[in-house]
Amino acid sequence: MTVIIDAQALQKNFRVAKRRPGIFGGLRSIVDPEVRIVSAVQDLSLQVQRGEMVGLVGPNGAGKSTTIKMLTGILTPSGGEIRVAGLTPIHQRRELSKRIGVVFGQRTQLWWDLPLLDSLQLLRHLYRVPEARHRENLKQLRVMLDLDEFIDTPVRQLSLGQRMRGDLAAALLHEPELLYLDEPTIGLDVVAKARIREFLLALNTQRSTTVLITTHDMDDIETLCPRILIIDHGRKLYDGAVKDIRTRFGGERTLIAVLDGSELARLAMLPSAEDGLATLPDLPAGVRLLKLDGPQIELGFGREALPAHELVAWLGARYTLRDVTFREPDIEDIIRRIYEKDLLLGDIGMPV
Amino acid sequence: MWRNLWEDLQLYQHLLVIQIKAQLQYKANLSLDIISYLGITGLEFVALLLYFVPFRTLLGWHVGEVAMLAAVMSLSFGLSELIGAGIDNFSVLINRGEFDRVLLRPVSAFVQVIGNDFRLRRLGRITQGMLAFALALHFLPALHWTFFKLLVLGIGIISGTIIFLSIVLLGATLCFWTVETTEITNILTYGSREMLSYPLTIYHQVLQRFFLFIVPVAFASYVPVCYVLERPLPFGLPAELALASPIVALLFALVSGWIWTFGVRHYQSTGS
Amino acid sequence: MLRFYFEVAGTAFRRQIVYRWANLAGLCTNIFFALIVSYIIIALYAVRPVVAGYDVHDTLRYTWMMQAILMVVLPFGFTDLMQTIRTGDVVTDLSKPCDFYLYWFSREMGKNVYYAIFRGLPTYLAGMVIFKLGVPLTWQSWLAFGLIPPFGATLGIAYRFLYNIVAFWIIEARAVVSFALTIAQFLTGSFIPLPLLPGWLQTIVNWLPFRGFMDLPVQVFLGKISGSLLWGAFGLQVGWLIILTCLVLWLVQVARQHVVVQGG
Repeated sequence: MTVIIDAQALQKNFRVAKRRPGIFGGLRSIVDPEVRIVSAVQDLSLQVQRGEMVGLVGPNGAGKSTTIKMLTGILTPSGGEIRVAGLTPIHQRRELSKRIGVVFGQRTQLWWDLPLLDSLQLLRHLYRVPEARHRENLKQLRVMLDLDEFIDTPVRQLSLGQRMRGDLAAALLHEPELLYLDEPTIGLDVVAKARIREFLLALNTQRSTTVLITTHDMDDIETLCPRILIIDHGRKLYDGAVKDIRTRFGGERTLIAVLDGSELARLAMLPSAEDGLATLPDLPAGVRLLKLDGPQIELGFGREALPAHELVAWLGARYTLRDVTFREPDIEDIIRRIYEKDLLLGDIGMPV
Repeated sequence: MWRNLWEDLQLYQHLLVIQIKAQLQYKANLSLDIISYLGITGLEFVALLLYFVPFRTLLGWHVGEVAMLAAVMSLSFGLSELIGAGIDNFSVLINRGEFDRVLLRPVSAFVQVIGNDFRLRRLGRITQGMLAFALALHFLPALHWTFFKLLVLGIGIISGTIIFLSIVLLGATLCFWTVETTEITNILTYGSREMLSYPLTIYHQVLQRFFLFIVPVAFASYVPVCYVLERPLPFGLPAELALASPIVALLFALVSGWIWTFGVRHYQSTGS
Repeated sequence: MLRFYFEVAGTAFRRQIVYRWANLAGLCTNIFFALIVSYIIIALYAVRPVVAGYDVHDTLRYTWMMQAILMVVLPFGFTDLMQTIRTGDVVTDLSKPCDFYLYWFSREMGKNVYYAIFRGLPTYLAGMVIFKLGVPLTWQSWLAFGLIPPFGATLGIAYRFLYNIVAFWIIEARAVVSFALTIAQFLTGSFIPLPLLPGWLQTIVNWLPFRGFMDLPVQVFLGKISGSLLWGAFGLQVGWLIILTCLVLWLVQVARQHVVVQGG
């Protein structure tokens, strides 16, 4: 495998002028602006191998789009080194742009008033793609993205999902090795989302295009990206496999047990805590009762607390069990926990 | 370099063709648009003519001569508007963050910007310019035409187009710093057009020098029209200066092009 | 309820204050244009000292006052209402418990006060400095001046509302906006002072509503019109205001039905 993105110690600072309140303050700001340095990205290192699909996650304003802008050569870094496809983005921007594709979920690059096909034809000239190659690519993408049903419709009349398929085609006509997707499924319905994901997986296997996705949709991450990068406050919080994140930071798993109907009477007699929820006596340390609903009982327990089978055994020894299932923690919750509590600050994970 | 230029021109042509195609879809709407634009620009010209009802001359210039100045101005301004309106609309591109997209393509940012908002309705002003020119000729039956005069007028209009394009490019460059002050560009575009629709010498010396030597809009109308009308230039400048219009225009274009590249670089370091 | 409308006006006023640079740029543009016209006028008057009772000084004052109140009466690029129609936000605005027109009226009045203070005043002051214009008002005309320009601004609001509301029925209404503005600028004397127009054209223009926008306020300021002539002209413009306002209210009514039929 070869490295396609290699960024070392990336740094980006912005100067922000502050405005003073009031009319006179405003006049003073014109003459004597108060400048603050805001650092959007700090010491961010990142390596992506050819053919990988990587998810870039973080709250709004975390530095995701600043990072993408530096990787594409739109923005000059304040510090650090970047090589993308062997090129220095800011100095070789135009050369690099022939080899990358970018899709902004909220901004289309298609011409609003024109049929989709016209836009796709025009892009040949904007990327200087040889005609035969363009024709071949267009033919393939029309099949892969099922464009034919709406290719002659003006873009403004397309549904959001159709437009996104059009935009994906637009970004791929010049056969980029690397595709940046910024919120590719935002605002789409479930069916349209599934379709986009399916296409991206196919693209990744067939053309082995490297894909970097920023998204708020954890389903995108779980279906598409084996590897995830979590950013907050311009710093990298986590870089590693999605499945590892659960084992390492999963917090609580949930055991859902359905008890035998004969236990209902006993459950009703459990003492109540202040918040009105019943309490189970002598719960093992690190286990708590989440919910009690008829014969169904939900227990949350940390990975360190005790192995799952011991908890089942503990419960089985006290009640007659009908059914037991486990629920893994929601990846979205984990990530929110990570950046709310800065769990990973300073603990940089390893690339896969 | 020539190959690049040729490719850029081709790209520009493709951009125009696709937009013309889109606008021709609503032909009725388009013709209404062109006519109303003709009306608007025509009304401005009528106001100029009306000044000559109470006043017979303007510092010795007759209505026909001033009409010719205004017509030449309309033509070069109208052409620049037609060719490069995308630049005039640049603040929108910046505000919507669409300039990022421009930078993500392997072709010239300038060509993409200039070709991004082509509107056929702007033919309205060019039509007005031609009508005004015809009217000027009607007012000046005694004017003696030579081949050189025609040539000077022609290159004057083309130079004027280049100068106006350079001005809007400078205005667009300003948007890399702030989109709040776009109105200031209007001083140099609409303002100088309005101003130089009248003889340059009626203005304060500072203004005269400014529009001759710094932002050389005078080379777009006043200097060539003086050549045609055989009138002397201010500051003892020779009449043949009219032939220098294209050089002046290209110099000005080079300077503003350089400032534009500087602006793009600034954008890349601030991203705003 | 009255307090609500004052609140709306105040908010509009404060929102304008934020754009300091834009205002400065706009102010420069106003001054530059007034400057150009001034030089043209001075050059024209070289051949004739007085036209229709206006000497060069009167015409200069006319020009600068015109530029000063231009943004109050005929602001360029007012398409705010049109935009709400295009985006559909207008539907919520229409269903608000306040009066639709009064709401927009208050907003625009708030902006007008801003433009009068931060655009109009400095523009005219610049003219005073550059061309020694002075303030030609007598105490009677001060009284009239307190009344007639605000009245012109009211006409201006009704007018801009009208050319915006057409967006309910015309999809690409930008051409309408620029056409409406150009016609109004011409007929209110902002391209060429109305007193310089040939007599027959003046007679027509005097009967139109546009005269009340800016020409009448400026003439009052110059003290060129007073007494019964002034009150006659003013009465005519009051008539126009009533007509325009009725037209506005009627169109709002029609638009409301239009929206209801479309199902919001």
